[in-house]
Amino acid sequence: MDEDILTTLKLLIIGESGVGKSSLLLRFTEDNFDPEQTLTIGVDFKTKRLSIDDNTVKLAIWDTAGQERFRSLTPSYYRDAQGAVLVFDVSSYSTFAKLEKWLLELDTYSTKSNIVKMIVGNKIDVDNREVSREEAMKFARRHQTLYIEASAKTKDGVQCAFEELVHKIIQTPLWESYADNGLQIGNKDHPAESSCGYCTLS
Amino acid sequence: MNEEIDDSEFYTQDFTTASEWEIFIARMEEIINQWKTDEVIIEENKSIWSVRQENIIFADFDFTFYWYKKKDVEEVSESSDSDSRSRNPVSGNFDFEMFSEADLTNESCISTWYGLDEFMVLTPTRNVGINSESRIKILLSSVYIVSSNVNNDIPIFVQIRDKWQKCFMGVFEGNGVRTNFEMVHLRRGPQHCQYLTGLLDLFKTKIMSPCSMDPIMCSVQLTYVLSDFGNFIWKQDSNNSEIIDMENVRLPFGVTVEPIKSIILKSTWKQLPEHLVVDSESYTDFDPHRAPIWSILAQMTKEPLCLLGDGLTEVYQLLSNHSNVYDSLGDYANNTTTPETNNPLDLLTEPAVPTISTLLNKAARSTINKHHKGVPPISENVLVPLLYFLFPDADESSTYPYGRDSNNEKDSPTKNKFINLEQDSKSFKTCPQDSLIWRLSIVLTHALQSLGGVKAFAHIWYEFVQEMRYRWEKSMPIPGLPSGFPDLRTCLLNQKLQMLNCCIERKIARETHRASQHFVDAENSSEDDDEFYECSEDGDSNKKYSMWNQPVGRLGKFNELKLLKTGDPLYIPVTQEPVLKTEDQLEEDTEVLLNLGDDNEASEVRARIMSASLLSDMESFKAANPGAIVEDFIRWYSPNDWIIDEENEDGGYLSPRMNIQNNIWVQMWETAKPVPAHRQKRLFDDTREAEKILQFLDYRNLSQICELIVPVLAHGALYRLVDEYNGITVNILQATARVTAMTKQVERISRDVKFQPRRFDAFIQDVSNFELTLSQINSLGYKFNPSGSFDNEINEKIGDLVIGKEIELLEKSNSNIGSRVLSMFSDAQNTANMISGETNEKLINPLPTPFQREFVMRVAAVKPASCSARCPQFLRAILSKNEFRLCGAFSEDIVFF
Repeated sequence: MDEDILTTLKLLIIGESGVGKSSLLLRFTEDNFDPEQTLTIGVDFKTKRLSIDDNTVKLAIWDTAGQERFRSLTPSYYRDAQGAVLVFDVSSYSTFAKLEKWLLELDTYSTKSNIVKMIVGNKIDVDNREVSREEAMKFARRHQTLYIEASAKTKDGVQCAFEELVHKIIQTPLWESYADNGLQIGNKDHPAESSCGYCTLS
Repeated sequence: MNEEIDDSEFYTQDFTTASEWEIFIARMEEIINQWKTDEVIIEENKSIWSVRQENIIFADFDFTFYWYKKKDVEEVSESSDSDSRSRNPVSGNFDFEMFSEADLTNESCISTWYGLDEFMVLTPTRNVGINSESRIKILLSSVYIVSSNVNNDIPIFVQIRDKWQKCFMGVFEGNGVRTNFEMVHLRRGPQHCQYLTGLLDLFKTKIMSPCSMDPIMCSVQLTYVLSDFGNFIWKQDSNNSEIIDMENVRLPFGVTVEPIKSIILKSTWKQLPEHLVVDSESYTDFDPHRAPIWSILAQMTKEPLCLLGDGLTEVYQLLSNHSNVYDSLGDYANNTTTPETNNPLDLLTEPAVPTISTLLNKAARSTINKHHKGVPPISENVLVPLLYFLFPDADESSTYPYGRDSNNEKDSPTKNKFINLEQDSKSFKTCPQDSLIWRLSIVLTHALQSLGGVKAFAHIWYEFVQEMRYRWEKSMPIPGLPSGFPDLRTCLLNQKLQMLNCCIERKIARETHRASQHFVDAENSSEDDDEFYECSEDGDSNKKYSMWNQPVGRLGKFNELKLLKTGDPLYIPVTQEPVLKTEDQLEEDTEVLLNLGDDNEASEVRARIMSASLLSDMESFKAANPGAIVEDFIRWYSPNDWIIDEENEDGGYLSPRMNIQNNIWVQMWETAKPVPAHRQKRLFDDTREAEKILQFLDYRNLSQICELIVPVLAHGALYRLVDEYNGITVNILQATARVTAMTKQVERISRDVKFQPRRFDAFIQDVSNFELTLSQINSLGYKFNPSGSFDNEINEKIGDLVIGKEIELLEKSNSNIGSRVLSMFSDAQNTANMISGETNEKLINPLPTPFQREFVMRVAAVKPASCSARCPQFLRAILSKNEFRLCGAFSEDIVFF
């Protein structure tokens, strides 16, 4: 059944607690929104297949708890991630201000130097917006990341955000150099696919 | 010849009866025509020749037919020979070719001798000679036929005699002229052919010109070979004996033999008319000092042993050795110590004044190991300094503590030529420079290479593991490791040792805590008193906290927050230290989580697995805050899930997601008991983890040990090379590209998920090549510029010599290099004379007798008849001690005769 899978990518979702990381993931993987979603403890993950440019990639998306106290636990799972989604809540300036810290944490713990980063401003459906699009864009530009606004509740931008991120990962050229090493993306199901896939794409 | 072909009917062409010879010729013609019509593909390689080849069979004899063509050859019509119509290949003014290593191919000597830019050669495929006269004739006839048939304007040669003799005969036909290439190769030439005068006579006789000729133009080249460099022999790192310079333990580097085999000096005269020069047995005009042209080239020693490359290769070979350390050590490891021969480690870790514990330890060890049979692979006086080098903290006055280079930026290899190296090396998954593992890998390599091979290697590892265990048991931190938790960006061994260090730290903390606890209990805890007094100010402390519910394990107040129910300050509890993992353990954990699947049930199981630390924190919180409710906990733990009431600062409510019925947080809060962190079950059992690591180290077999250190070794080798390269002032061709390529290799080697020996092997090749180049440059620099002062001119010349180029010395013996070469020649002569006991006269001529003399004679002569056109005639004589070679090209008019 996995014949057509090109490769498996490991993605991360990080950000302050309560910004809607798990909701974004739920919206993306199951197209569902649950206002009463439980608090993530430690890390969790979901998988999803995504078709991009006629190729199917399998995504293993690791969702992390945003609480300060889990900080000793979660970074262990940053290892070998190819992409990271940094989420903040557009209606809470403090969650935006903490992004700097999250980026630093990502640089500290991610083992890939060329990890692709995307900043997602979540909850754009909320009325009392505190972070303007311009400001967030400026921030993203300064840190050379992708930026997109989304709402897990209304579905806006969610699909697009993940697609964009995967696209970027596939295009990142440095990637190729590791492709022949029998790339391990935290999932050993398809070592053959992951080792040969990249040449055809890039 | 087979007659039947000629007689065959016209309408049936029967080739079945064609003779082998005809087929052979036809095949050659076919190949040549094919080559001529084919598009020439110029391969992108270093060689200046583009070569094509085909195999031909003549009867049962395999031949290979080559076509050599120089790439990008401009027409040599600029030369004085304005007669461009006669494009006879030997008519140019070619005399001597400047030697260049890159041009060397098997058959390119033809070009060197005749000055051809394009030719074809037929040579036996296997290493068999064509010695019989009839075979030579039939082959020559073949190429004559082919040459005239295809109207070829390229000379065709046949290799004859034994292959090593490099003897070729050939023919060229074009523009109404046929040139016969002939060659004589003898061990020793006839007496009358030893000097130019005799050779000129031979040349004239051979031409047999029907009328008088123009004067013959002669060119001469005398070659001198210097291979005894006397005091200027270059050998690096001669300390490959058992004594290691402890001040400077680095990866080995350099060559054990002189990398320059010889320096060749050539003095050349060009285009002299025959009547102006005399060269005979009794007198010669050719005094090398007065030659108009001097040139030199360097011959390299073939594959000398390079220490760095060799060290890496030894490790590479050990990768396939799967025996374990104890087997390699044999008796020794099983019977380590007796009271007489102390384990060197005891010496090392023993404080100046022995404490009771170390004495006990020694006693314990000595009773276990009563029989000492084996002889240690590395003797104690060698081993102890090495261990002191690895663990400098054992010696207070150590001269090589860790971190000594950190302020000495000059040593940093990034300083000079490779700005990017520092940046690039950040992506290496290795360990910091000059850290414990860095040193360990160097010492292991030394042991393997020069201290006794596999046994010594195993011995060092054994002692290392013993020391690790000793440090753990004695609660002594391991030196030379980056501080903090296992860093996943470093190599596995570094992570393991970092982890062990963390375990040791926690063990120490636990022990001191226990000690202080005893102390506090005895003193009736001043801290507890404070607490007590503080509470007693409220007047009802006893009511608030019953004896079994005293607050314990408080770290500090949390932002002036008050508990919702009791109104007491909210305290942050002392919590358990985080759980540490190395990458291999993490991988296992990840695997476990992944195997659960990705449905909701699995998510719940994962949450349970991950909740151990949450439960521990809850229990600590309860212990520190008697009377706290789940809301208090959330306010500390996940402030975003506590929504503050707008009107009432102290009031608020839980977020909707916390209010879900039966959610895991609430469930856990209910099951949590108030237990302070230090009484809880340890989430991270340092004793167990330390034991795991020690066993991991202990059970590594030789191959696995190598795998652990290979990334660090590769990193170290690269830095060593760059260090050396920064030390020299000569520019190496494509040095930056070579270093960049090696940097990439190190990165890959260190980051491969599964170790790939093939990659390491390729890296070793590159390292060895670069090391050799550096050694050659060092050697030449030492010879030509002993003072080591910066001299751009010499540096440039050395750069050329090292890539095998012949270079001209414009000022001959007045040039720096020229005078150095002369003085080395005279030194060598003096030494030789001294040995042979000859009178030690002052040498008039510092140069010895030439190693080789080469004469080129050329003239245009009418041949074969007086009405024929003037055709170029050519003879080259190469005379050396044990070789005599004549290469002639004699042309004759085939139209007018």
